[in-house]
Amino acid sequence: MKKLDVRLFRLIKNAKGQFISLSVMVILALTIYVSFSMVADNLNDSIFSYYEETRFGDIFIEVVKIPKTAIDKLHSIEGIEKAEGRISQDVPLRVEDPNEKVRVRVVSLPKEKGGLNSIYKLEGSDLKDHAKSVMVLQQFADARGIAPGDKIVPYIAGREYPLDTAGIVGSPEYIYLMENEQALLPAPEKFGVIYVNEDFAQSVFGYQGSYNEVMIKIRDDYGDRIDHIADAIEDELERYGVKRIVKREDQLSHSMMMQEVEQLEVMAATITVLFLMVAAVIINVMLSRIVKNDRMSIGVMKALGYGNFSILLHYTKFSVLIGLVGSLIGIIFSIPLSEAFTNLYIMYMNIPMFEMKIYGAYFVYGIVLTSVFCVLSGLMGARSVLKILPADSMRPEAPKAGGRIWLERVKIIWKHISFSWKMVIRNIMRNKKRALFLVAGIALTYSITMVPTFMSSVWNNLFKLQYGEFQTMDYNIDFAVPMNQSALTELTKLIQIDDMEPKVEVPFELRNGWKKKAVSVIGIPKDTVFYHFRNPKGEPIHLQDQGIILSENLAKSLGVHIGDEIILKNFMPDKEDKSIRVKGITKQYLGANAYIALEAMREVMGEKGIVTGAIINSQDEVVSKLKDVKNIKQVQSVQDMKNSFLEFMDMMIYSVGVFMLFGGILGFAIVYNVTIISISERTMEFSSLRVMGFDKKEIYKMITKENGVMTVLGVLIGMPLGYSMCQGMVTSLSTDLYTIPLVIEPANYAVTAAATMFFVTLAQLATIRKIYRLNFMEALKNRIS
Amino acid sequence: MEKNILMQVENINKFYQMGEVTVAANKDVSLQLYEGEFVVILGASGSGKSTLLNILGGMDLPTEGKVFMEGEEITRYSDRKLTAYRREKIGFVFQFYNLMANLTSRENVELATEICKNALDIDEVLDAVGLEDRKDHFPAQLSGGEQQRVAIARAVAKNPSLLLCDEPTGALDFRTGIKILSLLKEINKKYNKTIVIITHNVPIGEMADRVIKMRSGEIVETKINSNPVPPERIEW
Repeated sequence: MKKLDVRLFRLIKNAKGQFISLSVMVILALTIYVSFSMVADNLNDSIFSYYEETRFGDIFIEVVKIPKTAIDKLHSIEGIEKAEGRISQDVPLRVEDPNEKVRVRVVSLPKEKGGLNSIYKLEGSDLKDHAKSVMVLQQFADARGIAPGDKIVPYIAGREYPLDTAGIVGSPEYIYLMENEQALLPAPEKFGVIYVNEDFAQSVFGYQGSYNEVMIKIRDDYGDRIDHIADAIEDELERYGVKRIVKREDQLSHSMMMQEVEQLEVMAATITVLFLMVAAVIINVMLSRIVKNDRMSIGVMKALGYGNFSILLHYTKFSVLIGLVGSLIGIIFSIPLSEAFTNLYIMYMNIPMFEMKIYGAYFVYGIVLTSVFCVLSGLMGARSVLKILPADSMRPEAPKAGGRIWLERVKIIWKHISFSWKMVIRNIMRNKKRALFLVAGIALTYSITMVPTFMSSVWNNLFKLQYGEFQTMDYNIDFAVPMNQSALTELTKLIQIDDMEPKVEVPFELRNGWKKKAVSVIGIPKDTVFYHFRNPKGEPIHLQDQGIILSENLAKSLGVHIGDEIILKNFMPDKEDKSIRVKGITKQYLGANAYIALEAMREVMGEKGIVTGAIINSQDEVVSKLKDVKNIKQVQSVQDMKNSFLEFMDMMIYSVGVFMLFGGILGFAIVYNVTIISISERTMEFSSLRVMGFDKKEIYKMITKENGVMTVLGVLIGMPLGYSMCQGMVTSLSTDLYTIPLVIEPANYAVTAAATMFFVTLAQLATIRKIYRLNFMEALKNRIS
Repeated sequence: MEKNILMQVENINKFYQMGEVTVAANKDVSLQLYEGEFVVILGASGSGKSTLLNILGGMDLPTEGKVFMEGEEITRYSDRKLTAYRREKIGFVFQFYNLMANLTSRENVELATEICKNALDIDEVLDAVGLEDRKDHFPAQLSGGEQQRVAIARAVAKNPSLLLCDEPTGALDFRTGIKILSLLKEINKKYNKTIVIITHNVPIGEMADRVIKMRSGEIVETKINSNPVPPERIEW
């Protein structure tokens, strides 16, 4: 081996703590990059091959009723490959516990196989050719313990229909199973999907020869014209009462899955770059210090006839080795980690053909990425090698100018500071670059650690704000069909009610120019006690006789402001579109909705005195008492949502922990490395102090004080930084479905500060050995470099 | 005996700009070095002898004037050529040894030899400087004299045309210093190497073939010793 390389290895051996801590950062960066990217690719590929296999449609239309012949006619629209009808209807399911409310979506399957959105059999046999046969969606079957051969009893149009479970299936439509956009979280034991024969569905729901849903597959080469095709379909189907047109990109499960893929990709990129960047900065500082300390050795190398390039390479190899070691170990780790992640997704995501593929390209990208970072940071750090003139390097460097610091001029303060604190303050002020780097590092640690502490309370806050401040009802009752207001009087006879308000909730398409959005528009009394609208500034606003209030996210996606006119497009056949003025924009954390005063809503509907449901406060056993009441479609309990949310919380803890760990590793690496660098730089200074009679403890105390001051500064700077990081998190996580409130409690700041100080203390303790092993006599008498 | 000229220095000047003052470190210096010659350059600190040594060794360039090595003008060399020049032609011995702390004696020598073409056998050189038993020791495990022996071995093993020694005994006690000087003399004879020692220690001049005295950047006297004194008989 080349003797310069021998020297390098011994150099690394001496600095193994730094080498290891930097390598760990590279390992983490690479492992996360490779495994997240691979899982994202695997997930994406699996989703699309699943779609392929099951012929998942591109456009889905909900209509009131449509005959088969009308669907067949759609084939004349250019670009449509296939159009198929089916029946889909949500009904209650009878379960053992009368208090439990379970709903299923009954979906019809055509006789011949090979249709659109076909199911994927996982267990049991195919759907039998008789009325009582049913296939059950996997997540629901798992959550409720339904197996082939079991009986399930949906309650359809006032009758129970006991059905035999033939098989358990997966569906491309429900990889992510959620009842609708308003549900925050999947609740597979409360909502499921079952598949029945078309004949059976048509007869029980009263759709002989017709359907209420149309699925469209468009030709591959028309993919970019999907909007035109959707418009053409809408025109064509107008008279069948188009309730909703959903393109694949807006389909609930699909959009959730794509978000998942995107999140993985974003995580892969941001965490990797963040870690590599911090590692690069540390390497840069570390190498520039090593080069500075090695001035004399570099002079000797130059005197011996080593060229600038070889010497530069000698030091750059330090960082290249970090990159290599980190990459290799990172790759080794990333394979089982990708596998574990993939398995997690298989369990969680219900994609039957999910398989793990190793994409070698990511190894290459990863190594290239880390190499670029390491080589550049190495060159940057070692570049001062070039500036060292061989003749100058033989002379010791002139001592740094040690002028007074500004604080010393403030005599009143300076006089009262003890000697050891004076030294601490001077040391910090004299090496501003190092101090700045340390403070910045601690601030970064603080802000990264803040994200998980913030995230752990996000859902809680969201829930509290949505159901504690925005909406304050206990139950939301929906009728199966619009009824007269007198139906509410009936309700009061069935259950004990504290407060009640009528509502008219109808889906509309809201349009502003070419922007459109289908949402539930809710008509409620002007003086509602259950809804508390507040504008984005937090000031209360109220419904007016005319006009509409939009939720913030809805207003944003439509691009409208107060005072603008929007079009309310009714999905019901033969109803006119209405123009309405936006009177207010309200904060809403969950879901996107629009609100109109009840009377105005009835006017829009053109029907006096109607209600589609009620919102109530009640201490009564509402769910079980209203269970079998005719014409009640569903009773939504806020408490139930709270419970399913708490279950979800358990999962959050895991990712919060992972984030904490990242923050911790980052903080440790920064503080440890900076302290080690500072110790090695100041060997002479410490040795002199030792000779003067300071003991090891006192020197260590001094460094601890320095780091302590900078930790406090770092934490202070980290607070606004962490706030803006959480703000970024909120923007990136907020979707059409929910808006995450940016509520950071003082406790969040305190917990984060405690965690940061813990990481700093750990790193500080790790450096204690270096001080205690400092051989000051050796350092003073020896000028060998 | 016909003497071959190894190096030729022609009217060099070296100026340093120190703020508004220009300091002349070498003023109109001219000299020749002959093959196999043992030269001592004497001068107090600040006399310009280190600057001259650095220029001879290709570590620094003069502001004016020309320097030739074996007929080639090194003052016109590029950085890269100067590096090659130091690599092949020059061996340095420093006052403070300047060994690599994390390399053993042997490795320190190898560090120098593995980049030049005509290196001598390392073991032979290490034996010659009397380090048979200390080859695998690290500098911290060696005494000052031993460290300087390693440094000499490192310079000699390259088989350079010229050995430049900057106060080689400056950090050593008298006895050890004398031993180092004897070693240098031995090498001068054994390998017929041209050696230049710079020092402020006047008695060392007695062992040289030629003594060049410098003061304020100028050569003030050149004295040829027809009968150099063996180093063992020098005292200070």
